[in-house]
Amino acid sequence: MIRYHLNAIAAVLALTPLVASAQTGPIRVGVVTPLSGTYAGIGQQVKWGLDLAAAQINAAGGVMGRKLELVYEDEEANPAVATQKAEKLLQVGKVDFLTGTVNSGSTLAVGQVAERNNRLIATTVSFADSITADKCSPNVFRVNARAGMQSAALADWMASTQKNANVFYLGPDYEMGRSTVAAFKTAAEGKGAKTVGEVFAPLDNKDYSPYFGQIRGARPTVIYTSVAGNDTVRLFTQMAEFGLNRNVQVVGASGTVTSQNLAAIGKAADGFVTGVGYSPSIDSAENRKFVADFEAVNKSKPDLYGADSYGVLFFYKAAVEKAGSTDTDKVREAMRGLQWATPQGMKTMRAGDHQAMQDMYAVKVVGGQFQIVGKVSAGAAIGPDACTRF
Amino acid sequence: MAKALSIGPATAAPTVARRSAVRWLSYAFFVAALLFAAVAAALGDVFFFRLATESLIFGGLALSVDLLLGRTGLLPLGQALFFGFGAYVSALTLKHLAPSLPLALAVVLASCTLVGLIGGLIAIRAKGVYFALISFGLAQVVSKIVFNTRELGASDGLIGVPAPVIHLGVANLDTAHAPTFFLLVLGGMALLLALLMRLMDTPFGRQLDAIRTNEHRLAFLGFDPWRYKLAAFVLAADIAALSGALYPMLRGFVSPELMFFQVSGNAVINVIVGGSGSFVGALYGSALLTALKSVVGSFTAHHAIVIGALFVVSVIFFPRGLVGYLAPALQRLWSRR
Amino acid sequence: MLDWLQFVLAPQVVNGLSIGVAVVLMALGLTIIFGLLDVINMAHGEFYAIGAYAALALIGVGLPFWWALALTPLLMAVVGYAAERALIQRVFHSKDRHTLTLLLTFGIGIILEDLLKIAFGANPLRIEPPITGATEMFGLFFPNYRLFLMASGAAVIAAVWVVAFRTRLGAMVRAAAFDRNMAASLGVPVSTVYAGTFAFGVALAGLSGVLLAPIYSVFPTMGRDFVLIAFSVVIIGGMGSIKGAVIAGLLLTQAQSISSLVISPVWSDPLLFGIMVLVLMWRPHGLFGRLGHG
Repeated sequence: MIRYHLNAIAAVLALTPLVASAQTGPIRVGVVTPLSGTYAGIGQQVKWGLDLAAAQINAAGGVMGRKLELVYEDEEANPAVATQKAEKLLQVGKVDFLTGTVNSGSTLAVGQVAERNNRLIATTVSFADSITADKCSPNVFRVNARAGMQSAALADWMASTQKNANVFYLGPDYEMGRSTVAAFKTAAEGKGAKTVGEVFAPLDNKDYSPYFGQIRGARPTVIYTSVAGNDTVRLFTQMAEFGLNRNVQVVGASGTVTSQNLAAIGKAADGFVTGVGYSPSIDSAENRKFVADFEAVNKSKPDLYGADSYGVLFFYKAAVEKAGSTDTDKVREAMRGLQWATPQGMKTMRAGDHQAMQDMYAVKVVGGQFQIVGKVSAGAAIGPDACTRF
Repeated sequence: MAKALSIGPATAAPTVARRSAVRWLSYAFFVAALLFAAVAAALGDVFFFRLATESLIFGGLALSVDLLLGRTGLLPLGQALFFGFGAYVSALTLKHLAPSLPLALAVVLASCTLVGLIGGLIAIRAKGVYFALISFGLAQVVSKIVFNTRELGASDGLIGVPAPVIHLGVANLDTAHAPTFFLLVLGGMALLLALLMRLMDTPFGRQLDAIRTNEHRLAFLGFDPWRYKLAAFVLAADIAALSGALYPMLRGFVSPELMFFQVSGNAVINVIVGGSGSFVGALYGSALLTALKSVVGSFTAHHAIVIGALFVVSVIFFPRGLVGYLAPALQRLWSRR
Repeated sequence: MLDWLQFVLAPQVVNGLSIGVAVVLMALGLTIIFGLLDVINMAHGEFYAIGAYAALALIGVGLPFWWALALTPLLMAVVGYAAERALIQRVFHSKDRHTLTLLLTFGIGIILEDLLKIAFGANPLRIEPPITGATEMFGLFFPNYRLFLMASGAAVIAAVWVVAFRTRLGAMVRAAAFDRNMAASLGVPVSTVYAGTFAFGVALAGLSGVLLAPIYSVFPTMGRDFVLIAFSVVIIGGMGSIKGAVIAGLLLTQAQSISSLVISPVWSDPLLFGIMVLVLMWRPHGLFGRLGHG
């Protein structure tokens, strides 16, 4: 599954003459994604999405007649490993384009490697605002929705369904947990919601019951949480255990309840609402076909990570065809302002900060499925361009 | 009759001949490294130079572990704390003060000596096994604090660290140039190794060996082991921090993962597999395991099992490590001539 | 004031108790293994995880939770016995036993964690609590399963105490801990006792895994949840002291639970560590002595 030329010296020798006439061989796309460790489930969806897109693109004739070839490396969700593997793919693997990073630390670090090697990368998962705001880079593009957009969709839904919401915030104490809470708080307070309390628990916290007394005392009507993965399973099941989720609307970040932990949370997830850029239940012909194709190959429905990873190869294809080559500067120019078709509809890549614009949805978990309960248009959700570097 | 220690240099063999075998292996390491550099430079490679530099940097961390484990008899399970400390301080110095390598190293050395002293005062009081667990706990706690501190970039770490250029009269050494930085770090490690081996020949070094062999007896001889252990601890902290200081120059960023237990654990594995007590064993171990991880990682995502199994086999059947068995074997070979 | 006591402090204390019982169960196995064998079991967390997964597998083939609860510790004891005989015995007789066994169990832990990932996947899984519903106490609701947890945990701890200090088996174990050679010459089958004790400690870890799985969920790195606190409890209580593990475990979890009312939760681990360092400075061998050494 992970194809890679092992003997490095031989590889370098063999590829050097090939690169010189690179315009006819396959286009190599490097994927640095967590295939082991806590985020392996997300990495799996990324791989499924990419593999499906590559297969379909190649079946339809490839990109400008050249086949797409994916090369995978495991980054273990550790930026130090990600930079090493990214460099391996760029230097030894001679890839033309990189994608696959999941956590924002890795995306930022790999972005730097890309700048050093004059290549472009795109992330399909990282949603920290900083990647296309204060820490933006001319070589980094983001095709998925960022935290600010997700908050906008959720805050809009909340304002229309919960009059005079009293919100309690519970998040894991690390950068992503705190900034996601802050982003939503701004959006929510802007629409008239009141904050009644805030608690940040340590990451990987196993027991949330010490905080339930505090939460009960604040009498919230809405609880917003930015926990993710295993922490969500524990928080939700413990809240159900203690009856905390009765008469309270629980909402949260897009990474809180995903296909990786939904099965483990079970009934305790019912009623949960979040803002996302994709749901398998989007009712369009493209999406229905995509979901059917995805399920046929992988025996599993796609989630937002799978869908956005599927879309990134079409984004790259459109850019290369518009630029007429795989040269980095030409492709970058082509990507700016590019519009391309995805299962979620048309997306536009904003030139000012390399952030994709798309319609956003509020989804609710009902019986183990995500149902769409709200929608916000791309323009309303995107937020200002805060990137000053280019 | 007490059995010989499995960890640390074998005390049974005649010291002079054994030392020359280890010395020979040390030379061999650097010669092999230079050969590698020549080949890689001829092929215009960048990736393998950086990978090798990284293995040397983590080799430096392993050296600091070897000083404590292989020589003083203290098992540190949290040495990554100082490594990460050095990395962060270096990154901050390069980014906000001046992109100068000597400045970064100097700031790291000064600050880490202080921090190492504090850490040592907390940890050294504990004996044996408690020391291991306290150093583990210390690293856990501090890394969590760094992970949550906004000013240090929190969980994303710090990016955009400039690669310094060293201005010598006749030429400029640019650390961003992979072969140059590799040779620089190689030279640094050679210097470090030479210093450490020299140190072990001094009375101070003998004290450490004595502490490792039988600490209780030392008090009867009139020496207070506590001060020597503290000195060794601070020295090891400094070595770890200086190695860590080189990391942001190589990769241009630092992140809290550099302080996590996995880094400390890997350093210990490097030392055991390479051969504890010989110092150069730490470098061999780091090189071997970096190469192994890269190779195995291309085939499967489950490299942890392979490394873990190698480590377990090493602990059970080859507790003296690669150098620990090669050196006496070489001696036997030479004494036959 | 009375309101605060009833609605804020009391529930916090009871909560702390249920967490405390969990921690004590983990620390007990660890301290017994150290007390007798002088082995620091860095893989204790992984045995805890294996216990949870074993229960999951048993439930998966149709057994009810109670059967899984009864069978898992037996399975884990076999695993522990085999591990001790096959791996730990080999490094046991060298002079740096402490370091080597610590390193060995560290390596075993790495392998076990990855094996769990391969066998069960990286995503979290869950066991449904066998007892649902909540009881009203002091005007607040406590989940019945947690009350069960406290009761069964207390029963296990009491059982361990009785076996260690009131039975011949316990006397043999304590004798072997105090003076191995003397015990051997008195007819105590020392290597069997060693292997059996390790198996017992591992079984305790596995039992904790099963008991806690319904509230803490199951995933390959779950062993890391308890590492810092279990080792801290063992060190503070005294390595090898059962009494120490119980008292330190309960007190420390109370300290963490109550302090989370006033300080930010992020400081609860540093607080724990600070207490550990202070205790060690005052009493370097922990609060109470070692097993066999009173």
